[in-house]
Amino acid sequence: MIEIAALSSFLLSAVGLAVPIALAALGEMVSERAGVINIGLEGSVIWGALGGALGALAAGPWAGLGTGALCGGATALLFALFAVRLDTDQIITGTAITLGSLGFTGVVFQGRFGATGLALELPTVPVWEIPLLAGLPVLGPALFEQAATAWVALLLAPALGWFLFRTRWGLALRAAGESTVAARAAGERVVRIRILAAVFGGCLAGLAGAHLSLVHTGTFAEGMSAGKGFIAIAVVVLGRWRPWGVLAAALFFGCAEALQFALQAVDADLPYPLFLALPYVLSLAALAGWFGRSRAPAALGGASGG
Amino acid sequence: MPGANDGHPRDSGDRPGGTAPTGQPRDSRNAPLAARLHGVSRSFGRVVALNDVDFELRPGEIHGLLGENGAGKTTLARVMAGLLAPDRGRVEIGGRALEGGGARTARELGVAMVHQHFSLVPRFTGFENVLLFNGGGWTRRGRLRRGFRERVEARAAELGLAVELDLPVEELGMVERQRVEILKALAGPTRVLILDEPTTVLAPQEVSGLFAVLARVARAGTGVVLVAHKLDEVLAAADRMTVLRGGARVLTRPRGDATEAGLVAAMVGRGGVGDGGRVTRKRPDGAPADRAEAGDAVADGGGGDQANPPVAELRRVTAGDPEGERIVDLSLEVRRGEIVGIAGVGGNGQRTLAAVLAGVRKPVRGEVRIPREVGWIPQDRVEEGLVGDFTVAENVAFALHGSADFRNGPWLDWKRVGRTAAEMVAGMEVRGGGAGDRAGRLSGGNQQKVVAGRELLRSRILLVAESPARGLDVRATAQLRGRIARLARDGPGPPGIVLVSTDLDEILELADRILVMVRGRLLPLPPHGRHPDAIGHLMLAATTSSPTPPPTPTP
Amino acid sequence: MTPPSLSAALRRWPLLRPATALLATAAVTAALLALGGHHPGAVFATLIRGAFGTWDRFLSGTLLRATPLLLTGLAVAVAFRARVLNIGAEGQLHAGALAGVAVAVLLPGATGLVLLPATLLAAALAGALWAAVPAAMKTAMGVGEVITTLLMNFVALYLAQFLVQGPLQEARGVFNQTDEIPAAAHLPPLFPGTRLHLGFLIGLGLAFALWLYLTRTPGGFRMRAVGASVRAAEVSGRFRALPVIWMTFLASGIVAGLAGWIQVAGVTRRMYEGLSPGWGYTAIAVALLARLHPLWVIPAAILFGALSAGGGAMQREAGVPEVWVRGIEALVILAVLAVDQTARARADGGGRD
Repeated sequence: MIEIAALSSFLLSAVGLAVPIALAALGEMVSERAGVINIGLEGSVIWGALGGALGALAAGPWAGLGTGALCGGATALLFALFAVRLDTDQIITGTAITLGSLGFTGVVFQGRFGATGLALELPTVPVWEIPLLAGLPVLGPALFEQAATAWVALLLAPALGWFLFRTRWGLALRAAGESTVAARAAGERVVRIRILAAVFGGCLAGLAGAHLSLVHTGTFAEGMSAGKGFIAIAVVVLGRWRPWGVLAAALFFGCAEALQFALQAVDADLPYPLFLALPYVLSLAALAGWFGRSRAPAALGGASGG
Repeated sequence: MPGANDGHPRDSGDRPGGTAPTGQPRDSRNAPLAARLHGVSRSFGRVVALNDVDFELRPGEIHGLLGENGAGKTTLARVMAGLLAPDRGRVEIGGRALEGGGARTARELGVAMVHQHFSLVPRFTGFENVLLFNGGGWTRRGRLRRGFRERVEARAAELGLAVELDLPVEELGMVERQRVEILKALAGPTRVLILDEPTTVLAPQEVSGLFAVLARVARAGTGVVLVAHKLDEVLAAADRMTVLRGGARVLTRPRGDATEAGLVAAMVGRGGVGDGGRVTRKRPDGAPADRAEAGDAVADGGGGDQANPPVAELRRVTAGDPEGERIVDLSLEVRRGEIVGIAGVGGNGQRTLAAVLAGVRKPVRGEVRIPREVGWIPQDRVEEGLVGDFTVAENVAFALHGSADFRNGPWLDWKRVGRTAAEMVAGMEVRGGGAGDRAGRLSGGNQQKVVAGRELLRSRILLVAESPARGLDVRATAQLRGRIARLARDGPGPPGIVLVSTDLDEILELADRILVMVRGRLLPLPPHGRHPDAIGHLMLAATTSSPTPPPTPTP
Repeated sequence: MTPPSLSAALRRWPLLRPATALLATAAVTAALLALGGHHPGAVFATLIRGAFGTWDRFLSGTLLRATPLLLTGLAVAVAFRARVLNIGAEGQLHAGALAGVAVAVLLPGATGLVLLPATLLAAALAGALWAAVPAAMKTAMGVGEVITTLLMNFVALYLAQFLVQGPLQEARGVFNQTDEIPAAAHLPPLFPGTRLHLGFLIGLGLAFALWLYLTRTPGGFRMRAVGASVRAAEVSGRFRALPVIWMTFLASGIVAGLAGWIQVAGVTRRMYEGLSPGWGYTAIAVALLARLHPLWVIPAAILFGALSAGGGAMQREAGVPEVWVRGIEALVILAVLAVDQTARARADGGGRD
C-alpha cells in the first residue's frame, strides 16, 4: 500500500512538474515549426511568472494567468522584432532576451517588493479535483487533480496538431519553417508568420511562468524560471517537433525531475543529477538519429528576409 | 480553367517534330493575349539584365525563349511572374496590368512559374506542395476543400503527370519532382505557365515526356513559356521562339520560319554564322584539330606525343553536381602549350568538367590525373571566386596560402602576398581599389579581373578558364584573351589551358583544338571542321554527320 | 528609420559601431533608471567609481571578474569567426573545471611544476571533448550545432552537480563541493595583496595568440575563409571546409575549458555547483561587442567585468539593485545587433535584387 501511495504521489508531482515544461515546449514547437528558434523563451517564462504574480495581486489568480501569458508574449514580440523583422541572429538575440529578462524581472521585483528576502505570498489558482476520477488508484490524482493549466497543455496538443497539419495556416506556417524561398514563392508573408508564431510561443511560455508562480509555488522569486525555457527547447527536440511527442517528452522531463526529488528524500547517495541529465542526453541521441530520423525544420534559425 | 476547353478542337495525334504548322496559336487570333510585356527594362546594379523588351504570349502556344546564359531569359521570366518589378515598362496578364502587385497578384491573374531550382518544400509531400501554392484547395475557414484532392489527381491524369502525391518530395526523383512542380502550377486556373530551363535536370529520354505534357497543357488554352538554351529542344517543342541577347530581344519567329543557323547566329551574336573567314589560328604549328578520330572516346589532340606528356588526363570519367549537370564517360588529355577549346551550349556539363579538372569535384567513375595546383576561373565569379568582405590581397591569398613561397616559418607572409596582389592589380589594371581594399567595393568587372588575375598565378601547369571574358568590357576582354594566348606560348614550359566558353569567337580566336560539349560528352570536330557552321551543328547535336551520343543513363 | 548619413558612417568606420552601440545602451539605461526613480548620472558615477575608483577595485574587482569573460569571450569569438555557432561555452567551461579539479585532487603528491601544467592540459582536453560531440554531430550527420551545444551545457551542469555530490565531494561530506585543491595547483596572484591572478595574463596571451593565428597563419586564414563562405573556400581556396570546422570546435572548446579551470585555480580553489553565473552566455555578448576580434575581446571583457564589479558598488552605495547589470548586458547585445543591422541594411540594398 505504501508503494502505491508513493507511486501515486510521484506521478502527481511528475505531471505537475511537466505542465510548465509542456506549455512552454508546445509554444516553442510552433515557433520552431515556423523557423524561429527562440532561445529567449526563458525570458518569456520569467516575465510570465512575474507578470502573473503582479496580475494575481491586482485582480486575482485567474487574471494573473492572463497577464502572465501577455507578458511572455510581449517578451517574444521584442525578440521577434529583432530576430525576424530586423533579421538579427536568432541565437544571439535570444541570448540577450534571456539575460535581460532575468535582469529586469529582478529590477522590477525588487523595485516593487524590495530586496527584503521575505517570501511573497500569492493567491493561487485552485486545483480542480474531478470527483470520483481523482479517487482512482495510482493514476487518479496525477490525471484528475491538476490545475487548469494542465488541461490547457493537454488540450493544446491535439489542437495544435490539427492546426499544424490540417489547416491552411498550419501549412503556411510549416512552409515558413522549411523554406522561406518556397513559402515566399507561394505568396506567403514569411515575416508576419514568423512573428506571430514566436509571439504565440511566448504567450504559452508566459503561461508556463504564471503556472510556476500561481500554481506550483504561490510565490515569486528571482530566477525562478530555473532553465525551464531551455528545457522546453530540448523537449521540442526530443518530441521531434510533434505535439504528442512534445507532450510525452515534457512528461518524461517531469518524471526525471520528480524522480530526483523522490530519490533525494529516500536516499541522498543516489546519483539523482544523472537522472536530470538523462533527458538531455536522450535529446542529443534523438538528434543523432538513434530513435529514427528526427530533424529540425530545415529553415530553423535562418534569415527571414524581412 | 481545367475542363473549360474540353470542346476545343484538338490536333490530331502527337505533335510532329519536324513539320511545324505555323506560328499560329491554336486559339483564334482575336482572343486576348495570355501575357504581354511592353518596353520592359530591368537592371541589377550596373548590369542591365533587360533592355526595352517587348514580348507577347498567345493563349495555347508554346513559346520558346532562347538565349545564352546572362541573356536575360530568367529575368524576363521572373518579371512576367511578378517576382521582379521592372524598372520601366508594363506587364499585362490576360489583358490586365500587373502593377507592383508582385507574385501574389501574378498568381491571382493566373501566372505560374516552374523554377530551374525547384521552389518545392522538400519535406512536404507532393500534395502538401500543391496545396501550399493553391489557395483554391482550402475552404474559407482554412480547412481542406472537399474534392480538391480528387481534382488534383484528375488533373494529373489528364496531363499525364503520374506522380506519387503522398511521399515527401525529397524522396522523389528529379522527374517526379518536376511533375509535382508542374502540377502545383497547374492545379488552379492557369493562363500562363513559365518553365525556366526545365530540361536541365532531365535525361534525354525524359525530355520528350515533358514536352508531351506541355503540348497537352497548351492545347487546353494555357500559354506556355519555355525558357531554354538548347536549340534542338526548343525547335522540337515550341510553336514560336524569341531570342534574347544581352538583355535585348533579337528576334521572334514562328517555328516554320526559324532555322538553326539563324537562331545560333542570333544567340551568339555573330554577324552571320557562315562567315568562316574570321577564323584565326594563332598557332599554325599547333596540334591539328582534325587528327582525333570521330567517335574515338579519347579526345587527344597530341596523339602519342612522348616528349610532351599530358599535364591533365581524364579517362572515362563520369561525374555530376547536385543540380544534375554532369559529364558522362568522358576522356580528355591536355598537354603543355596547347589551348583546348571546349565549345558548346551552356549547361551541357561544362561546369562539372571544370570542377573535375580543378580537383574540386570527385568523379563517380573513371580516372582523373591532374596537377596539384590548377588555375580555375569559375563561371560564378562573385559567389565562388571572391569573398566580398576580404581585401583584394586576402582574396589573392586563396591561391597562395598553401605555398611554401609565401610562408615564413608558421606565418603567412602577408607582405609578399600583398606585393603579389599589388602586382596583379597593376597587371590586370584593376580599377577602383588596391590590394588592401575590400573586394566587395570593386565593380563586377574589376572583381572578375581579380579572380582571373589570381587564377593566372596558379596556372603554371594547367589553367581552366570558363568564359573568362564574360562581363568584361571590350578593352579588358582583349587584354585578358591576349594574356591567355601568351601564357600558352611563354617560356620553356608553358601550361596547358582548357578554355570553356559559350562564345564561339573566343574559342576560334584562342583554341588550338576544339571539342564540342554535348550532353556531358566531348565531340571532336570532323576533318576540316574548324568552322563555325560545323561547330554550330555539333553544338546543337542535331546533325546526322556527328555521332549522336547514346542516351545518358539515369542515375 | 535611420538617417542614411548615420548608416553610411557606420559602414565606413566599423569602429564607430561598438561606440554607437555603447552610447545607445547608456541612453536607454539612463532612461530606464530615471523611470525606476534613480538619478542616472549619480548611478553611472557610482558604477564607474566601483569599477575603476581604486587600484584594488580595478585589479581585484574589474579585472578579476573580466578574466572568465575574456577566456569564454575568446572561445566564442574564434568559433563565430568560422561561423561555428558554439553556444556551449558554458558546458565546456564546466567540463574544463571538473577535469582540472579532478587531476588536482587525484594527483596530490605532484609538485607545482608538474601539477599546474597537468591540470591545464586536462581542462583543455575536457573542453575539447565537450565540443567534439557537437562537432561530430555537425560534420558527420549535419545536425546544427546551436541545439547540440546548448544541450551539452545541461549535461555538463548536471554532471558537475553529480560529481561534487558524489565522487568528488569533499572529504567532510558536508557541502556539495570538492576539497580545496592543493596549493601547487593554485594560479599565483599577479600582485601581492590583490586577488588578480595569473589567469588574466593567460587570457591576454591567448587573445594575442589567437589574433596572430587568425590573421597571420594559413590555418587562421582558412578559418576566416570558411566563416565568410564555405563555397568560396572550397572553390577558390581548394581546401575542404570540414577539417577546418573540426579545428574550430576544438579550439573553441579548449579555450572555454581553460576558462573554467582557471577560475577554480585562481579564485574559488574548489569546484561547486553554480560555479559560473552564465559566463558562457555573457561571452556571446562580449565576443559580439568585440566584433569577433580577439584583441578587442580584451576591452569588451573588461567592460563587462567593470559592469559586474561596479554593480556591487551600485547596490551598496546608490541603492540600485545589482541585477540592473544583467539587464544592461542584454541591452548592449541588442544595441550591437541593431547598429550592425543599420549598417548592413543599406550595404545590401544596393547590390542584389
